[in-house]
Amino acid sequence: MIKRWLSHPIVDLALKALGRNRLQTGLTMLGMMVGVATVLAMMAVGAGAQQSIEQQVRAAGLNQLTVRAGNWRPKLEDTGEAIAHGDARDTLTLPALPGLAPDARPATPVASGDILRIAFHPEDDPMEKHDHPLARQRLGDLEAGLGSAATLSFADAEAIKTLPGVQYVAGGVHENARVHLGDKRWFTRMHGTDVEMPAIKRGWMLSDGRFFTRREQDNAAQVIVIGQIVADKLFGPGNKAVGQEVMMWNQPFEVVGVVTSSTWVVQPAPGDDQFDAVYMPYTTTHRLLNLSKLNDITITAASSGQVTTLARDITALLRQRHGIGDNQADDFTVLTQATRALTTGGLPPSVARAVAGNVAELEKVTLEQLATTLERASRTMTWLLAAVAAVSLVVGGIGIMNITLLSVTERTREIGLRLAVGARSRDVMKQFLIEAVTISLAGGVAGIILGIVAAALIARTLNWATVVSPVSVLLAFGVAGAVGIFFGWYPAKRASLLDPIVALRRE
Amino acid sequence: MPLLETRDLTKEYRVGDHLVHALRGVSLGIAAGEFVTIVGPSGSGKSTFMHILGCLDRPTTGQYLMNDRDVSTLPHDELARVRNEMLGFVFQGFNLLARTSAVENVELPLLYTRQGVVKAGERRKKAMAALDAVGLTDRAEHHPNQLSGGQQQRVAIARALVADPSVLLADEPTGNLDTTTSHEVMEIFARLRRERGLTIVVITHERDIAAYGSRTIDFRDGKVTSDLHHDQTLAQSSHR
Repeated sequence: MIKRWLSHPIVDLALKALGRNRLQTGLTMLGMMVGVATVLAMMAVGAGAQQSIEQQVRAAGLNQLTVRAGNWRPKLEDTGEAIAHGDARDTLTLPALPGLAPDARPATPVASGDILRIAFHPEDDPMEKHDHPLARQRLGDLEAGLGSAATLSFADAEAIKTLPGVQYVAGGVHENARVHLGDKRWFTRMHGTDVEMPAIKRGWMLSDGRFFTRREQDNAAQVIVIGQIVADKLFGPGNKAVGQEVMMWNQPFEVVGVVTSSTWVVQPAPGDDQFDAVYMPYTTTHRLLNLSKLNDITITAASSGQVTTLARDITALLRQRHGIGDNQADDFTVLTQATRALTTGGLPPSVARAVAGNVAELEKVTLEQLATTLERASRTMTWLLAAVAAVSLVVGGIGIMNITLLSVTERTREIGLRLAVGARSRDVMKQFLIEAVTISLAGGVAGIILGIVAAALIARTLNWATVVSPVSVLLAFGVAGAVGIFFGWYPAKRASLLDPIVALRRE
Repeated sequence: MPLLETRDLTKEYRVGDHLVHALRGVSLGIAAGEFVTIVGPSGSGKSTFMHILGCLDRPTTGQYLMNDRDVSTLPHDELARVRNEMLGFVFQGFNLLARTSAVENVELPLLYTRQGVVKAGERRKKAMAALDAVGLTDRAEHHPNQLSGGQQQRVAIARALVADPSVLLADEPTGNLDTTTSHEVMEIFARLRRERGLTIVVITHERDIAAYGSRTIDFRDGKVTSDLHHDQTLAQSSHR
């Protein structure tokens, strides 16, 4: 078909005419090529951003669950006691020190011997001067007492690992801690965690060094991975932290890695729970603090669709393992991302509780909304980038108009002759339009190739996600053709309106 | 009944503030098979007359009948069709497309027929036949810059013939040629008229070229000043 098209005499004539001004034609095509390539590359960058946002939204939550020790959620079969507890907590008029709020839950009592060594929490010292957000100002500390019930064990985590549909499991112990470097100190959040944590936290990136190893975890080694904020505060921005030694609980720790966010959706900030934090093997925490229980267990499901099923399975498993009778409440809480967002999102606890307990598939609703918002934002960005790039297409189009006008001027006599032998205005118009479109499409095809190469280069050199979709290629091709028609129209029209007598006389 | 007939043609156009009367009432009839030569000084209106005959221009007033059909008021596209089907043009400057072979130049009118583009095979066949009529089949693949002036004009005549018109219109066809070649070209016109019964109208300002015609019309100041019918055999024998 292409061959037939090329052998069509008018197309053939257009190609021959283009061959006559090879340099000008080539330069015009180059302009067009750059325009199309820019648009395509920008769309690839935008689409890539969009895709990575989708991935990150998915990574951030849909497939993640957390089991926390202790329980506050009222259950339907509860005989008012739990609800009364909840109300009692709400009516506590001491929000100033929630960390000290009485643990009003039907949880297994904490063995007094379990909380050792750190008898007094430094943050609770009224004389202490704090240059950081207090626990109650931190996200997630509204229920600071929630995770401290000692009901979860490492064995529980191992048992959860055997459930179908489980991808990664990481047990965690959490404390507030003061990290010292010489006479500098930084008060932050300490997470004793599992080597699998980086696999769960897909929004993480190690800006330097490495995460601790399984061997270090097995040996309860005194190694530490510090969040970006901690690194900046203690060592100063840009200074090397890896390999240095910091002190915690009067014990030396070797800094082996610095963790930061891999996405612009989440930026490290003082007081956050992830990057203003330090991480060590939970075994090390257990050894030094003489603990044996876990505060929580983080689990990722192999697919986000399994989260609800998995939450049910985990509940059943743990109830069985903990020997909880049918009429007793859980001594743990299974949280999905949505319930976490709600309970840590500043909602009044009673409202959060009511919503989380009663809205089915809540996690879907909120996360889908988040995903939709982000997608819309990134789509807007894609179109914005494409619109900026489109300016270069206009420049390319002006080039086409220029060369077509040149062609019309140079070939006025030829136009006159064609009119004399019977060409109609529309035949002349068609001829020059085909010339313009031929240039723009040839430049467009070259631009598509260049754009794909550019997108690949951007992906490789800048580490940006880029996606060249078939739709954007088709769109680029279509736009190139449209530019040819649009900018070829005026010169072609001018040619078609020539008076044959005047045209024939032109030298 | 004349093939081409004009009735009181006038043509006026503006050049700046001047109103130029190019034609001031020309009434002529040209019968099928006539070989008309038109002579006259420049500015006499002969070219304007030719443009109207060629349907490239329309008269200000008056009528132009072709086969008794008034073509002076036809829309542009219809005029293009008349030019394509009825008329063949030969110009002083040949007007061949550069970098295009002789045979492709000859094919040109066949790209614009009423039925659309003539198929490539048939186009080539017709073009070769037309080249044969001017004796240039062996130069079919040559480009204009590889041909002599006389050869180029013969290619242009072949192009005028290819769509099988009834009338050939030639505006100073020998103006760019030397004497020998000029006579060769005029011989071709005479032969085409003899063999095919073509009606031929040639503008010239050379008397000996004008003598090829069976009829010579003089133009002066937009009017016909003389209209002479020669004895056909005499006209031909006098140049043998």
